[in-house]
Amino acid sequence: MVEKNTFPSSQRRGGAKRRGGQFGDTFRRSSTGASPYRVRATRHPVIKLLIVFLALQLTASAQSAPTLPRTADGKPNLNGIWQVLNTAAWDIQDHGGELGIPPGLGVVEGGEIPYQPQALAKRQQNHAKRMTADPTEANCFLPGVPRATYMPYPFQIVQTSDNVVIRYQFAHALRMIPVNGSKHAEGVPSTWMGDSRGRWEADTLVVDVANFNNETWFDHAGNFHSDELRVVERYTMTSANHMLYEATIEDPKVFTRPWKMSMPLYRHVDKNAKLLEYECVFYLQEERYKNAPFK
Amino acid sequence: MRLSNSRTALISVVLLASAANGQSPKKLQDGQPNMQGTYTRAGVKALEAEPPFNPIDPGEKNPFSVSNREDGLGPYPRIFGQGGNVLRGSQQRTQRRLGIVFPEDRKLPWRPEEEAKRRQFLLEMNPARDLRHVELNSRCALPGLFEGEDGNNPYSILQPAGKVVIVYDYNHTSREIDLNRREHLGKNIRLFMGDSIGHWEGNTLVVDTTNFNGRVAYSREIPYLSEDLHTIERFTIVDDNTIDYEVTIDDSKLFTGPWKVAGYFSRVAKGVESLEFACAEGSQTLQNIFGLPPSR
Repeated sequence: MVEKNTFPSSQRRGGAKRRGGQFGDTFRRSSTGASPYRVRATRHPVIKLLIVFLALQLTASAQSAPTLPRTADGKPNLNGIWQVLNTAAWDIQDHGGELGIPPGLGVVEGGEIPYQPQALAKRQQNHAKRMTADPTEANCFLPGVPRATYMPYPFQIVQTSDNVVIRYQFAHALRMIPVNGSKHAEGVPSTWMGDSRGRWEADTLVVDVANFNNETWFDHAGNFHSDELRVVERYTMTSANHMLYEATIEDPKVFTRPWKMSMPLYRHVDKNAKLLEYECVFYLQEERYKNAPFK
Repeated sequence: MRLSNSRTALISVVLLASAANGQSPKKLQDGQPNMQGTYTRAGVKALEAEPPFNPIDPGEKNPFSVSNREDGLGPYPRIFGQGGNVLRGSQQRTQRRLGIVFPEDRKLPWRPEEEAKRRQFLLEMNPARDLRHVELNSRCALPGLFEGEDGNNPYSILQPAGKVVIVYDYNHTSREIDLNRREHLGKNIRLFMGDSIGHWEGNTLVVDTTNFNGRVAYSREIPYLSEDLHTIERFTIVDDNTIDYEVTIDDSKLFTGPWKVAGYFSRVAKGVESLEFACAEGSQTLQNIFGLPPSR
């Protein structure tokens, strides 16, 4: 059982002695190239025991390494429904609780967002008027990227060989991410959700997102960007039901340097998991216009 | 829709090679016939033999014409209907079935009292009496299976294992058809897009959809269908570039029996991609109709 996970089948047929040789190879790789261990390793009983011990350690760690579900074309299979378990939608930095705002630890690496001085002032203004000015929470507008990822609603990844579509439950936001080597569109209007182009780097889906407008915020706390925002997202499965999500943010109009946020994503494992509808705009209209007409 | 730059010049002369009729489509790893790609749709609107009274018909002599609305809401610009021809290029196509195909007389089997309600509803949409009488497209809501602009704008079909996902060009809409589930969601789950489960019969995808929310329209003339709506759609792969489409609309609250509409999907030229369709983000429609709501 252990070998099945550790070695290709062609190397499993050699029996115990052959496997010992494989472990010896592994051991040798971790020591210096011309070490005398290589000669003595299979002869001295103490060393033999040591090798067995190390081999057990190695196989134990190999056993606990994730076996990722894969699609027919060999890529990690991201198909499914995912969601964060954090409070980044309210504030991507450390924050305490307020009425209707759950407290949480930040998701920004290093803690600080490197605002230019004027931009920091604007962030504070945004924060002051966030109850009505937050484009997403107060107005149900498309949340942009990366905010769509960490809204407190699930999203569904639909993965084929050429495309990855992400269907977000919140406001039925949607991204079509070609993974076919195509380039960003040029000369087209800026967008709320950005223009996404994906590629696989080993087992990580890397998505380059450009052509944003300056309308969306990163969170309900007023963290914002300009139309020069560029986001690089990395989706890396760490187990069958977990992903590491990283987003590098670059915006020379607003920040002094690129910065990064990261967080785990959790798969909905419920047997009947299904993406339902959260029609934010519709519900908001029902509230605002329930007594219409007003003139 | 946008044509990717490098291919813009080519688009007008691209002729999509059409596979001979009867050729089997390639199979995907999970056994599904492959119909992935981007298509425009044609034919899915009423097209009745004797259309029902239409108080919002924008004819010149109709005082209720949408063109006369003070709020400026008129019929959709013709350009929406013409886009598909541009996208498809000059490809020749065989004649396909369009519009109502059942009943054979192409008259919708309205229950008389529901037909009267529908007429009254349409009159109260013009101008909208209240929020309930604003058409859902103007509210940027999910459009259901038929509406959204003229209902025929591009759709992208993706087929991950065990599913068919259809992404609309319109208003970042998408729907999921589950091929592994046999039972619909509980009756208290009500959805604009309904709950779709499907299976393949040869080269035909058969999709059964229920759990609608009683709000989505079939067309401007049929501004709502009821919660009892039950649709059965058949997507039949004809060749590499064509999918025949037929939908049975069964809504026993509004109609005395089911009716069927046919249309078809045509693959768009290569290199065509959708632009973002943001809707609510820039919409002033409700303010224009009703005035500004009291400050929050």
